[in-house]
Amino acid sequence: MASASWRQFKAILRKDLVMEMRTHEMITSMGLYAILTMVVYQIALTEAGEALDVRLVMPGLIWVAFIFMSLLGLNRSFVHEKDQGCIDALLLSPVDRPVIFFAKFSGNLLFLLAVEVLSLPVFAFLFLQGREGISNPIWLLGVVMLAASVGISGVGTLLATMTVNTSGKDILLAVVFVPLMYPLLRAAVGATFAAVIGGPGSIETFWSWMAWVAGFDVIMLLVAFGLYEFVIGA
Amino acid sequence: MNRTKIAKLMLALGGVLTTAAFFMTFFWANASTFPDGRIDFGQKIFYFHVPVAEASFLVFFFTAFYGVKFLMTKDRRFDTRAKIATEVTLLFVLLTMATGILWTKVAWGVWWLWEPRLTTYFILTLLVIAYFVLRNSVEDEERRAVYASAFGILAFIDAPISFFITRWAESVHPVVLAGGEGSGLETPMLITFIVAQVGMLMLGYAFYEMRLHEEEIKERLEALKVTVGG
Repeated sequence: MASASWRQFKAILRKDLVMEMRTHEMITSMGLYAILTMVVYQIALTEAGEALDVRLVMPGLIWVAFIFMSLLGLNRSFVHEKDQGCIDALLLSPVDRPVIFFAKFSGNLLFLLAVEVLSLPVFAFLFLQGREGISNPIWLLGVVMLAASVGISGVGTLLATMTVNTSGKDILLAVVFVPLMYPLLRAAVGATFAAVIGGPGSIETFWSWMAWVAGFDVIMLLVAFGLYEFVIGA
Repeated sequence: MNRTKIAKLMLALGGVLTTAAFFMTFFWANASTFPDGRIDFGQKIFYFHVPVAEASFLVFFFTAFYGVKFLMTKDRRFDTRAKIATEVTLLFVLLTMATGILWTKVAWGVWWLWEPRLTTYFILTLLVIAYFVLRNSVEDEERRAVYASAFGILAFIDAPISFFITRWAESVHPVVLAGGEGSGLETPMLITFIVAQVGMLMLGYAFYEMRLHEEEIKERLEALKVTVGG
């Protein structure tokens, strides 16, 4: 049974990956969105010029970009399922509902991480040149991005499954998703700030924020997982 | 005595108690003073703000509670209860926000401060509003009930965070009750507070029950329309 679930999981995940390989729709739109966000940042920061140390606001700025990017991706990922009737087929087939959740969640997580990893160097290239770099080891940033993206994708998968069936769709997704993500984002920005700025005690600060991220991930994933069966069947 | 009668009684009692607490605030409870001896009149709002805030957390719990019950039983009556609990929450949350903002201006000199308690409570307000936005954008009734229940449960996670945040994080929001050393109230203040709190909870119950009654009558009317009108 376990191996059957694993095969089903792989099949659904592969479907999403293959579709992405053929269309490049997700990565292109999310990546372009990330770059557009940077352009908007340039407008927002331009008058502050040299007076502003971009490093101080960078942790917030990258998470703003990531959260809105994830909204775009989550919405896309279910619009396809719905428009092409794929979700109905999935529900008709003898696949356990939790398997569907974990497969969609993993797909969304992979796309989000891919775009995050691509856009971070772009951000550094555009805004951090000639400034001090990231003070603490860079893998710490990887830890926050991975941990927070797990929470974002988990709750996002649940909420996008709901909002794709509503009249508001992407706008409604933002309305329900952003406030729910507040505690996670706050902790992620805190951890990123500690990693970027450094200084004495910053590693401890980093891990204490990470404890919040991890705790939130666990609670939110469990609740999202528990609710998914009801939501997808409705 | 049926539920509606109890609700009416609660409404009257709650009204009397909260009004009584209002007068007790000014004529009996000691005025708290600033360290320099000036009387802190702004503190009087405490007897409204805190009861209504605590009631809002409690009522919001019922949104999640009935959400779980609905998902377990698929009985639509529980969804109606969850919806009404959220309506009462919205009322209480807005009252908390309004009184909080007034007090913030008096005590801190600014209308708003992005500090942990205020921020998490603001998020709670947005979540309660989002609950209704979500309900309104789902057409299918069965689906609406499921989505609203799921979202209500998720949204409730913010309530304990907002409640305990002043104890966890550095916050300038006062912790009056059980906040460790230096917290707590003198007896007349405590009694006034308890009267206000009990009155507020009664009002919450009464609002909830009366709205529920109204909704039930509406549903019965709809059902009758179908039977009679064919």
